[in-house]
Amino acid sequence: MSRFTAWRGHAWIGLPLRLYLGGVFLLACHDKILHPSGFALDVATYQLLPLQLVNLQALVLPWLELFVGLMLVVAFRTRAAALLVNAMMVMFMAALVWALMQGLDMGCGCFASEGGDDPISWHTIVRDGIWLAMGLYIQLFDRRPLGLDRLFMRRNDA
Amino acid sequence: MCGLDRRTFRDAAIVVLLSVVAALAFNALRGDGAIPLVAKEAYRILVPCPEPVGEVEPIQAGDVRWGGARELVLDARLAHEREAWRTDRARHLAFDFLDPVSDEALADLVASNAARVVVFGDGLAPDSGQELARELAGRGMVNVFFVQGGWSAVRAVLEPAAEVRP
Repeated sequence: MSRFTAWRGHAWIGLPLRLYLGGVFLLACHDKILHPSGFALDVATYQLLPLQLVNLQALVLPWLELFVGLMLVVAFRTRAAALLVNAMMVMFMAALVWALMQGLDMGCGCFASEGGDDPISWHTIVRDGIWLAMGLYIQLFDRRPLGLDRLFMRRNDA
Repeated sequence: MCGLDRRTFRDAAIVVLLSVVAALAFNALRGDGAIPLVAKEAYRILVPCPEPVGEVEPIQAGDVRWGGARELVLDARLAHEREAWRTDRARHLAFDFLDPVSDEALADLVASNAARVVVFGDGLAPDSGQELARELAGRGMVNVFFVQGGWSAVRAVLEPAAEVRP
């Protein structure tokens, strides 16, 4: 492990990043869990998934966002949460690029269904790219995150 | 290595599994507002058509220089609309709200070296001729006009003796 990777300061940089990203995901899942039909319409509008998978994705994705959001905030299984966040961000960005290439004029469905979002644009992709960079930082460098993971590590060490 | 090990993948898989279980259970219990796991019919998605953006001027059919060397006349009607009447003095380039003019077709128009492009269409509201003219202008073409009144106005000029029934 390099000196940079082992640097203890990563935990203090990772803390605000985790709280921010966790907050974003908790905020994102709220409306989607309450209004799955609206979110299913958003998913369908991307025209990426076959019809048979649209509802399943609309049901499961918000709960995944809820779980990883909570895990990031309390730093429980942080690396797994960051891995899922990064996978989702890559998936979202690919969908956005595809929609923009198709010239679709639509809301991104990131936070609220039924027109509550801004229209998709290259800014949306840049924003998601920044969140992906945050997720990657947490995954790669926040090895002793301040939260439950560190607490369990101490117990195991003792 | 890179924050990715077996345990990380195992934990991630468990979280995905928990999400599926929670989502299905919540959906089953919620009654009103629940959605079927598989949609029974396609969603009616409302994706606005790309808007033609260019500004174009109207022109009277009598002012078109029919057969002029540097005048390119386009018929924007769909193939089945042209069955009623057509003229050899216009090139066919159908306007479709959902299908923009291809780059190849646009390059073809540019290669014609026309000084002026005149488009006529169905003459309805909206007029396909005006919409195609706006699209071409929006794609960078200059001196693009549309014939007011559409194909029936054109026919009245080219075949004044014919009875026009738009």
